[in-house]
Amino acid sequence: MSAEAQVKQIEMVRRQLSRESAEALNKIEKDFPDNPKSMDYFYDLYRRVHCEGEAPHGDKKVIGTTCVQVPEELIYAVGAVPVRLCNGSHTFDQLGAEFMPAKSCSLVKATLGMLSSEVASWLDQGGDIVNVTTCDQKTKAGRLMEEAGYRVHHLELPPSKESEAARTYWQSNVNGFARSLESVTGHKITRNGLRDAIVRVGRAQQAYRRLHRLRMSPLAPILGKDVFLVTNAYFFDDIDSWTDAVEVLNDEIERRCEEGFGAAQRRAPRILFTGSPPIFPNLKLPTLIEQSGAVIVADETCSANRMLYDVVNVDEWQLYDMVDALADRALKPCTCPIFVSDEDRKRRLLELARTFAVDGVVYQAFSGCQVFEMEQRSISRFLADEGIPSLYVETDYSPDDLGQLSTRIEAFIESLKARRRRK
Amino acid sequence: MNRFRAFINGADIRRFRFWVQLGFFFLLVYGGYFMINLGQSLPTFSCGFNQPGRAGVCYLLPLQHQTHIPWDSIISGRGLGILTGLLTFLAWLFVFNKAWCGYACPLGTIQDWMTSLRQKLGIRYATYNLDWFTRLKKIKYILLILLIVIPFLMANSVAGLPKLPDDMGTPFCKICPARMVIPAMTGDFSQWTVDFSTGTAAAMTGLGMLVLGIFFVGGFINKRFFCFFCPMSALHSLFSKVALLKLRKDGSKCTRCGDCYRACDMQIREIADDVESTTLVKDDCMMCFKCVAACPEEGALKASFMNIPIYESTEAGFFKRMTKRGKK
Ligand code: SF4
Ligand code: SF4
Ligand code: SF4
Ligand code: SF4
Ligand code: SF4
Repeated sequence: MSAEAQVKQIEMVRRQLSRESAEALNKIEKDFPDNPKSMDYFYDLYRRVHCEGEAPHGDKKVIGTTCVQVPEELIYAVGAVPVRLCNGSHTFDQLGAEFMPAKSCSLVKATLGMLSSEVASWLDQGGDIVNVTTCDQKTKAGRLMEEAGYRVHHLELPPSKESEAARTYWQSNVNGFARSLESVTGHKITRNGLRDAIVRVGRAQQAYRRLHRLRMSPLAPILGKDVFLVTNAYFFDDIDSWTDAVEVLNDEIERRCEEGFGAAQRRAPRILFTGSPPIFPNLKLPTLIEQSGAVIVADETCSANRMLYDVVNVDEWQLYDMVDALADRALKPCTCPIFVSDEDRKRRLLELARTFAVDGVVYQAFSGCQVFEMEQRSISRFLADEGIPSLYVETDYSPDDLGQLSTRIEAFIESLKARRRRK
Repeated sequence: MNRFRAFINGADIRRFRFWVQLGFFFLLVYGGYFMINLGQSLPTFSCGFNQPGRAGVCYLLPLQHQTHIPWDSIISGRGLGILTGLLTFLAWLFVFNKAWCGYACPLGTIQDWMTSLRQKLGIRYATYNLDWFTRLKKIKYILLILLIVIPFLMANSVAGLPKLPDDMGTPFCKICPARMVIPAMTGDFSQWTVDFSTGTAAAMTGLGMLVLGIFFVGGFINKRFFCFFCPMSALHSLFSKVALLKLRKDGSKCTRCGDCYRACDMQIREIADDVESTTLVKDDCMMCFKCVAACPEEGALKASFMNIPIYESTEAGFFKRMTKRGKK
């Protein structure tokens, strides 16, 4: 391709992308009445970054990450900013199809598509990425990123988290990652630096947990589509501004709870969302659910709950203990389906379903995401045994299946409503 | 009431433990100077060799004396002595359970001070490899059996074998580091010697000195190094199920995040991984409740007394402690 054609293509992709983002954002923002005032911070953020292509971190050193398993505190400690690269755009999904087999997962394709297109403003010149060897597709994608000219640290994750051997293996890999961060950035990780980073991330998690807890309220005070937008912003926003904005939102939500104001109808079925992560602009399924009269009150996905909920405990505030503690926090509570056992995921779903008085579970699997597809049966059976109805939805980033999806979702929600009436 | 609860649950357990431990240390090591006497059956290493400072005697000392008893006199008054000793020991244990270890034992406290020192110096702790560890931990039961059986074999000949020599008396005390460490706290170093009067005595006291060395080195790099092998802890664990003070877990609230496991000085993995048991006092547990303080899930772990929760894991408490400690 000539240089000129390339520029043209980039321009085209950029336009398509910003159109896609604007449409999604419009839907999320304008199609629903009574959005919290403090959501404006987030709508505006997406408008600037996704629609207008603003670089979120200016000239700071950015390190791209591809999974919640990366202990981002380490990245902050070397004075860089972590940006999660997992991508949700159909435009990039199509671009990425070039690098991956036809039947692979939209998320991985979109991430690769973005990295190969030079459109996204996420990464800086250095192009440093830490890729975690989770599922096969992500593992091999790490290699493809290298081929595309990025400098990739392959962070090896054990396929099971039960054994002590897996734990120590992972801890030593995380320590290795810390050293490689130091050499890449030329910054030493100091005790104070890491401690501050831990407290900083802790503050963000505390804000998230408050939001999470507020959603337990019998009258849902905020819609799930907004919460997904909020947690998604954590991928790329400045962490301190994000935390402040979430706390402002929390205050507003709390007021709503006190005033008895609901974001959804009193009788709206309460949904627990699980499976492949909804990432902006692909909030297709969450939006559909809430347009159909249900409300998402909790989730078990790695673009929201799994990313922000679990907190680190440090026993001895020295480097040696902090790094290991971060490794533990990433591995031990993780409910990702790439691990052998699904016990923890089941327990987590059950606990969420109980504490959030959930009426039904919606399980999203991106077609091509084997692990989520493979866990579906056992999870659905488990939920059924516990008397919790669930709906399994296989989908991808393309808008083609919207019609068919909305019929299924509506039917499911109707059945939940009927079930409620019977009770 | 709720406010009070929240205050307690937000407490910094380290600070609390530090002061309680210090208090008990003074009480048990120097209480004798103030005429305090808590009896002969304390379930903790209030070492009997620390005279006159001791405020009571470690139960293992009378136990080793009492089992030095011929068969036929068991049903006599001496047998009764054994019984009352045991019952008093059990009464103490019944109330505070293994918290004697986490809060009262002077030898445990000294180990914690060594840990703080290591921490201040920024030296990493050592941990055991889990396989090895599971095997090594059994030593404490072997020691417990020996310390009962050896004195008994001194007084009785079993299966026609000759009796053990008399200088095997109080065999565990001979190798117990507390015998040297605790009296030293009152300036008495008389135990820091090898007794050459007989061959057995020399061997046993020599071994004792060796254990003392290991105690200091091990205790410096390993948290609560000696406690893993302590026969007192073994004796506790035989009865700890029925005690009033309990460590409870609600597995449904546990995310198995491992935060409690990280905090546990005794490397008790089950505290995080076991989501079935509702009471989780493992044999090594010292009921320090550091795990409760480390847990971010509401009510997943709690210390309870007669089924009344006294200290509970809460999200607010967790973050309060994190921000406070992360600031220093
Ligand atoms: S699904 Fe699992 S492997 Fe993939 S990004 Fe999420 S947590 Fe990581
Ligand atoms: S030496 Fe040890 S076992 Fe013997 S009385 Fe002292 S503390 Fe107890
Ligand atoms: S286990 Fe430790 S704390 Fe408990 S009695 Fe033995 S030495 Fe003391
Ligand atoms: S800290 Fe709490 S939630 Fe985490 S593993 Fe321990 S008991 Fe479970
Ligand atoms: S399990 Fe808890 S109470 Fe027991 S020793 Fe470990 S941290 Fe302390």
